[in-house]
Amino acid sequence: MSTGTRTPVVAADRPRAGPVAWLTTTDHKKIGVLYCVTAFAYFLIGGALAGAMRAELADTGNQLVGPQSYNTLFTVHGIIMIFLFVAPFGVGLANYLVPLQIGAPDMAFPRLNAMSYWFFAGGGVLVLLSSFATDAGGVATGWYLYPPLSGPRYSPGVGPDLLILGLALVAISTLMSGVNVITTTFLMRAPGMTMWRLPIFTWNVVVTAILGLVAFPPAVAAFVLLLFDRRLGGHAFDPLGGGDPIVYQHLFWFLGHPEVYILILPFFGVITEIIPVFSRKRLFGYTGFVLATLAIGALSTGVWAHHMFTTGVVDNPFFSAMTFTIAVPTGVKFFNWIGTMWGGKITFRVPMLFAVGFLLNFLIGGVTGVMLASAPLDFQLSDSYFLVSHFHYTMMGGSVFGIFAAIYFWWPKAFGYRLSERLGRGVFALMFVGFNMTFWPQFVVGLRGMPRRIVDYAPGLGWETPNLVSSLGVVVLSAGVLVFLLDALTSRRRRTPAGDDPWGGSSLEWATSSPPPEHNFTSLPRIRSDRPAYDLHHRAEAGEAGRPRSEETA
Amino acid sequence: MTAARRSASTLLALTAASCSSSFGMPRGSTEQGRDIFDLWQIFFWAGIAVAALVYGLIGWSLVRYRRRRRDADDAQGLPFHANVPLEIVYTAIPVVIVIALFALSFGTEDRASSVSPTPDVTLRAEAFSWGWRFSYPGDGVEVVSEPSGEGVPGPEIVLPLGETTRIELTSNDVIHAFWVPDFLYKRDAIPGRVNVFDVTPTDLGEFHGVCSEFCGLHHAYMTFTVRVVSPNEFEAWLASERSTP
Repeated sequence: MSTGTRTPVVAADRPRAGPVAWLTTTDHKKIGVLYCVTAFAYFLIGGALAGAMRAELADTGNQLVGPQSYNTLFTVHGIIMIFLFVAPFGVGLANYLVPLQIGAPDMAFPRLNAMSYWFFAGGGVLVLLSSFATDAGGVATGWYLYPPLSGPRYSPGVGPDLLILGLALVAISTLMSGVNVITTTFLMRAPGMTMWRLPIFTWNVVVTAILGLVAFPPAVAAFVLLLFDRRLGGHAFDPLGGGDPIVYQHLFWFLGHPEVYILILPFFGVITEIIPVFSRKRLFGYTGFVLATLAIGALSTGVWAHHMFTTGVVDNPFFSAMTFTIAVPTGVKFFNWIGTMWGGKITFRVPMLFAVGFLLNFLIGGVTGVMLASAPLDFQLSDSYFLVSHFHYTMMGGSVFGIFAAIYFWWPKAFGYRLSERLGRGVFALMFVGFNMTFWPQFVVGLRGMPRRIVDYAPGLGWETPNLVSSLGVVVLSAGVLVFLLDALTSRRRRTPAGDDPWGGSSLEWATSSPPPEHNFTSLPRIRSDRPAYDLHHRAEAGEAGRPRSEETA
Repeated sequence: MTAARRSASTLLALTAASCSSSFGMPRGSTEQGRDIFDLWQIFFWAGIAVAALVYGLIGWSLVRYRRRRRDADDAQGLPFHANVPLEIVYTAIPVVIVIALFALSFGTEDRASSVSPTPDVTLRAEAFSWGWRFSYPGDGVEVVSEPSGEGVPGPEIVLPLGETTRIELTSNDVIHAFWVPDFLYKRDAIPGRVNVFDVTPTDLGEFHGVCSEFCGLHHAYMTFTVRVVSPNEFEAWLASERSTP
């Protein structure tokens, strides 16, 4: 962007172009795109690992990979999907959207922002190295690295060390971006953008950022202690040296459970932006929705030990009670979404299709989550494929459908041209059918007693058919992702122009150009409600409120 | 025609089977497990009711309030965006549901995890990578896994029908878990700790057991079998095990 005749406030950077511009950028929009593209690349890697696992499990016997490789596959699949795909994609969206939605020119700390991206990208590389590039075999401990299995005696290779260092970098990156999102939202809102007019997506990523600040430090402590045990002769978690492996589990799950809300809250935000737009209505129960998000954030720090019911050390019903309670604010959100659609004029464009898919899938994840909150049912269901299916219904059926909804919704804003509506419907159909075909049979096989994390299973237990159907489902699901990639890569050539406000959006990002200029807005509309862009585009209805304040000077 | 009728009757049978409502879970072959199974049925019906209601509302909204061809391009929905009494009601109803489910769970957990002070049999189970060392300390009998791997059958333990067996579970290396799916119960085997629980079998037969906490290379093959027999046969089995060193 040329700065024209304006006197530069700070020494102007030399204008750069091409890859160098991307590698050195501190622009929140470019960093947001970098985050999302990198995270999506990790998604493709993690998905390929999942495909290899499903191929192995399609039939009994040991046909494709041995036990050692299989154990590495599921360990790295979990780490990638949680720490390198879903969570960073949420950070990427937050980076791109928060300044636009609150009417700010950039994030509060642009260089910190760039640094947090590079910590994430670098940490991810270490994670990949830990898996398949180590001579003694990759890390094979399960994504939660439970000692003693992850200790020096049972996992002597260098894999877990690299993984711990990689995760530490990712954790620090999360802390940095958390600080940035919180500061930006609290201090850089445009005049008139009060907290109670904040778009729901921004509200949700602020709560997500706070959760990150609360949850990550104890986990980093646990990882560092584990590293001491592994390399410096420590015994923090080694029962033979007076340590206690249960302490690790407490520290880890104090991260682990807020983490699942870190993985879902941004995408609750995404579909809460999308559903009102395609229902041609305001969000139903804005205040209640924000309170529910705050309640989820608070409660999620008090549920961690429900991952430990079968250890026999948490008979305390507190954690079960808290886990049941967190279902309430989540249920409230469902009524917000239904209330928004109620009385609307609903159009089924691709972002809305994915949002509806989110609702249908996530409900099953939620209902089965309440079952798992019950300690006695958890005695049966924990560590079975029922659990595996439950969390895929929330994280894949929920978060990943939310990610695709976000991609289709904001792509025209970010790039100025559209993705194909026709192909998009196909992507949705394939992914929705493929997803349910993959994971519904896992409920069945879990109830029939199949434990998770096994490379092989015996015939005659009723496990063959559901496993085969599940593996075939992955083929359908992957076809959907491939069609999406094809569309995304060729859309640039078609360049169907999007316009500044292709959907009839309400929040501020729809009041600037597509793509937005370097510092986001050449003029800001007056903000008189939680729907400034809607007010701007419906001036007759909104009266004076919609008049851009700087129209004369723009 | 007959094929169609046959498949229709199969479908009916399947529906009937699901109406007798085991919902895919084994019915529980121990007293503790049956208690958990009863709870499972309550949870499943509650889950179906909630899902039916929410899916119904979503489906109704999507169909009834879809944009029609006659609608203008920028037609807006109804100005229905807040209703505090309604919001209080839809917050309160889930609160009532989860309080009820929590109370039921709490009762079941107490019963399923209660340990009898006077068990009829004590079974010590020590997990190791990758197998099990089962012993009946009062009876001088021990059953140990072969080194495990693909195709190696796991060890078999025998329990008496209708009698309470106390299981003392531990591990001598990493964390494992003892799970018999038909008993609807699992516990972790943790080095340095002993987890104690009771099983009182109510069904004769052989039941598949697995390690359910990932424990390394041969985790998938760390299986075992539980055979439940009458108390007389159990005594005979103990005697025969004692005589074969």
